[in-house]
Amino acid sequence: MSSLSRARLALLPLALLQLSLLASCGRETRDYRSNMLHAQNRAADFRGNAYHIAQGQRLFGWMNCSGCHSHGGGGMGPPLRDAKWRYGSSMDNIVQTILNGRPNGMPAFRARITEDQAWELAAYVTSLSIRTRKDALSARGEEPANVEPPTLDERKNPRAVSGKQDAAEKKVGTQ
Amino acid sequence: MPASPAHREAGRGRIAPIAIAVVVLAVLVALGAAVLAFRYPARAARFDVNARILAPLPAPTTRARLTSWNHPDSTGQFTWQLGDTAGTRFSPLGEITSDNVGRLQQTFTFDTGLKRGHEAAPLVVGTTMYITTPWPNDVYALDLAKPGAPIKWHYQPKPLPAAQGVACCDVVNRGAVYGGGKLYFNTLDGQTIALDAATGHEVWKVKLAEINRGETITMAPLLAEGRVLVGTSGGEMGVRGSLTALDAGSGAVVWKAYSTGPDKDVLIGPEFHPPYPAEQGKDLGVSTWNPDGWKIGGGNPWGWISYDPELHLIYYGTGNPGPWNALQRPGDNKWTAGIFARDVRTGQARWFYQSSPHDLFDYDDINESILVDLPIGGALHKVLIHPARTGFLMVIDRETGRVLSADPYSYINSMTGVDLRTGRPTMNPDKLPQSGRVTRDICPAAPGGKDWNPSSFSPLTGLIYIPHNNLCMDEGDVQTNYIAGTPFLGTEARMYAGPGANRGLFTAWDPVARRKVWEIREDLPVWSGALATAGNVVFYGTMDGWFKAVDARDGRLLWKQHLVSGIIGMPMSYRGPDGRQYVAIFAGVGGWAGGIVAGALDPGDPTTALGFVNAMKDLVKRTDAGGRLYVFALPR
Amino acid sequence: MMRASAPLPSLLALFLGACHGVQTSASGDGTESLRIGNLFGLFLGTTGVVYLIVLVLLAIAIKRGTRHRACGSGLQGEPPSHLENRWRLGLIVFTGATALILLLLSLATFLTDRSIARAAGAPTVEVEVIGHQWWWEVRYRDPVAGRTLHTANELHIPAGLTTQVKLSTSDVIHSLWIPNLAGKQDLIPGRKTDVMLHPLHTGLYRSQCAEFCGMQHARMALDVTVDSPADFARWYDTSLKSPPIPTGGLAYAGFQIFQNRQCASCHNVADTPASGMVAPDLSHIASRRTIAAGTLAMSHANLRSWIADPQTPKPGNQMPKVTLSPAELDALTAYLETLK
Repeated sequence: MSSLSRARLALLPLALLQLSLLASCGRETRDYRSNMLHAQNRAADFRGNAYHIAQGQRLFGWMNCSGCHSHGGGGMGPPLRDAKWRYGSSMDNIVQTILNGRPNGMPAFRARITEDQAWELAAYVTSLSIRTRKDALSARGEEPANVEPPTLDERKNPRAVSGKQDAAEKKVGTQ
Repeated sequence: MPASPAHREAGRGRIAPIAIAVVVLAVLVALGAAVLAFRYPARAARFDVNARILAPLPAPTTRARLTSWNHPDSTGQFTWQLGDTAGTRFSPLGEITSDNVGRLQQTFTFDTGLKRGHEAAPLVVGTTMYITTPWPNDVYALDLAKPGAPIKWHYQPKPLPAAQGVACCDVVNRGAVYGGGKLYFNTLDGQTIALDAATGHEVWKVKLAEINRGETITMAPLLAEGRVLVGTSGGEMGVRGSLTALDAGSGAVVWKAYSTGPDKDVLIGPEFHPPYPAEQGKDLGVSTWNPDGWKIGGGNPWGWISYDPELHLIYYGTGNPGPWNALQRPGDNKWTAGIFARDVRTGQARWFYQSSPHDLFDYDDINESILVDLPIGGALHKVLIHPARTGFLMVIDRETGRVLSADPYSYINSMTGVDLRTGRPTMNPDKLPQSGRVTRDICPAAPGGKDWNPSSFSPLTGLIYIPHNNLCMDEGDVQTNYIAGTPFLGTEARMYAGPGANRGLFTAWDPVARRKVWEIREDLPVWSGALATAGNVVFYGTMDGWFKAVDARDGRLLWKQHLVSGIIGMPMSYRGPDGRQYVAIFAGVGGWAGGIVAGALDPGDPTTALGFVNAMKDLVKRTDAGGRLYVFALPR
Repeated sequence: MMRASAPLPSLLALFLGACHGVQTSASGDGTESLRIGNLFGLFLGTTGVVYLIVLVLLAIAIKRGTRHRACGSGLQGEPPSHLENRWRLGLIVFTGATALILLLLSLATFLTDRSIARAAGAPTVEVEVIGHQWWWEVRYRDPVAGRTLHTANELHIPAGLTTQVKLSTSDVIHSLWIPNLAGKQDLIPGRKTDVMLHPLHTGLYRSQCAEFCGMQHARMALDVTVDSPADFARWYDTSLKSPPIPTGGLAYAGFQIFQNRQCASCHNVADTPASGMVAPDLSHIASRRTIAAGTLAMSHANLRSWIADPQTPKPGNQMPKVTLSPAELDALTAYLETLK
């Protein structure tokens, strides 16, 4: 093997590393004041962004969302970890739900949080049930060590609720 | 003796077919067992046994007895959720006895078409049965004189749908009260409504709660001396609790007593004589709170009210202080988590006893107070018996408010006892919740030794029949934020079965000898009310849908029937137009305990429904949501 | 030697410059910092003297070595026995002195430690300080719950009395360090720590989070005011009173905006519907010296610009930019300025 090719070979991991670094660029972008830049693709920008998801998680506790929805399992409000969405599962639907409320008890948060914060909340809520890029998810549990952080949990992805799957889940539940 | 290799070699040919048969049989048995285990989880069967007898029945002379003014209605009407204003839930009807209850048969059913928690008992007056439902709080009158009990009238109050979002722990309603030709009930969105019982027409309507501030009403009003008494709900939403007395005729507010704040708001005046120093002082409803804390401090009287017509006093409990996170509200947090005695005519407080000062664990004190007379030391004592959320069975002098005894009827490790000199519970320092970390194994859990579901008292045995929980929890505090109309909690909990692995108990308690007489271990929390009858039968239901009749003397299971949904309602008994005794119960699982079924909650998150779902993961497999009233009687 | 002494005055100036001011550990404004300062002085003096002695001995040795070489006596031969005895004696004295000095310094450390512990005694004021990203929550405890006091980013303590500061955090590790008064103490999630403050005289000090805690760690300061006990009691009582709700004008308009817009979901103002608990309590914001945990000095212009856009002076902090018109900004600022 010539020394030249060996040097090239040595460069390969470095190049890969560089690529992987580039790949994660978007996940950490911190926009403290989102503005018209987001108008085009707001949903995607918020959804795949670790900073916004983490901020959403913080707001989920601060705005007492967790009081009704727990950590996604529900309580006074419906669960958010499953695939059922009464008012639509898109980021736009969720933001509308948060800002304007819904008639069966969801209060309106329009005058309580800013629109950016609603998008951050929606990014976090979406990450509870819908596949989100793994490197953007928060590893931090907001609760005092009672619940495993969401990344350690197996996430339920949007699925057609099939009998087979339900039976399998029930089986797990009996153990 | 080990067989030699040669022997085994020779024997193989003969043994092989037998071995194969045995293996096949074993596989079949295992398969069968697996199928059975899947359908009926093993733990369900493990506790389904008769009562364990723990002490002898009290002798007739040493039995607790009904108060002198309490004459159970032998006509067989049922006009109030607790049967009488003393809160005994005792039916004087004796046609159904421990001997014949085994022949009980279903006579008719009624579907509400709702699939949320049905906690109320129907009322029966004359030949009409009155039914109240969870949100949307419809009222039905059924004509019992006609076959199949057809609907006589149907009233729809149409409460605001948004009320569902601020109702902690399901959209339940605990029923109506009847008096003077009118039916009084509350709606989830905070209205008290009086209906003409004959026609179902609205007589008056008063709004007592504002859902935008998180206020709802779920309790059953009590009628006493021409006043309808109504308390607010919302202890999980930072609602400042209040009890309002409305004029039964017009609905006008006669008086209103808050559970926190300055004395003038709490109706504390010169008549107030609390027995213990911790309750003596001016404006304790303000000074025992962080500044402004009392304005959002809870203390909602969402439970039961009892009434002593001789003393003109009402007794009711106040709910937990808000927020749950006790670190955010230093002080005793008066007048939450305690019992008030008030003059029903003026509302002025007479005494107050705080079961859980500076409450740490959501030990609302809203449970029923049963008014009875106890023979202690040769004299009859006027007492109230209060199976508190703390797990202590409190016996309190109902004239003075002094605690006569406090004994654990449920497993307790959060408190070590009640100091009878000061009335205060002694806290276990190992179980104090802490900020940012979890305190493990706190018993009882937040729903307490017993929650709202009322006990029953039988003068025939002198025993109190307590349907209750055996739950413990892990809990940690987090900072919470107050935003009007949203939850105000700051606590993360996760519940599970207490010692013995059963989650519920049905206990018969002798309040004179201060001990358990018998006890039934139930797998699931017992979230239904109890009813004792003159036939020495006690009825209660389980959350997996079994309606049970047990012997009042020894807890022997006499009869059981599986209903369409889990039972969290209150059994009642009445005499029908045909003169026969009937027993009625709602099947309709829900409430805080049954949210996993009624609200389709996700058990994957252990903090769901304030941590209760973690203890109820198997309920989805054992019952379905529903809402059906069942009526039973002996065959003709 | 000559070359080394050139930067010395400037270095000395740098050191001495830290001996005054609102954020220095050399001022000795509190019992702990004073005692520690004294101990530090003792250490510095002792080790300085020893250092000088060593330098002098080294200089002598070099000088003598040169002389010996010049004389030709060199080091080849055995030293005379009287010299060897002197060296041995010198070595013994030197070792003994070192051991003694170290022993004395240990003793001084021990005694200082004891005296600090003793001086603290039972605290007269108990205050909880909770670290947040990136501000300080301050809660004074009182046996009467109704007299507990809630504030933020400012700590008032009485001179001559002991204050126990109980520390906790809502998010990450922070560290409280009021160098003029006492040493550092970390705030650790899920744990309780505390520090005793015993200021000797009145004064204004500055504390700065001393454990890196994220983006705005540098802008997480705490203003510490040491009052005379009488002034402290007066400040406490004033702070317990709720600020009056404006009755009209611009400030009333601002009050309305505060209650009905995003402000009220996070901030608390005593005796108003705004009862937010996740951001600094603003009941007496106008009487504080700084805005946003020491980020800006308190002034009308700064307050207005902070509300207009909190993300420019302190990017990444949890206060969002709320869209407000200039007129609304004026009203809100006017209202906040009434919260004295």
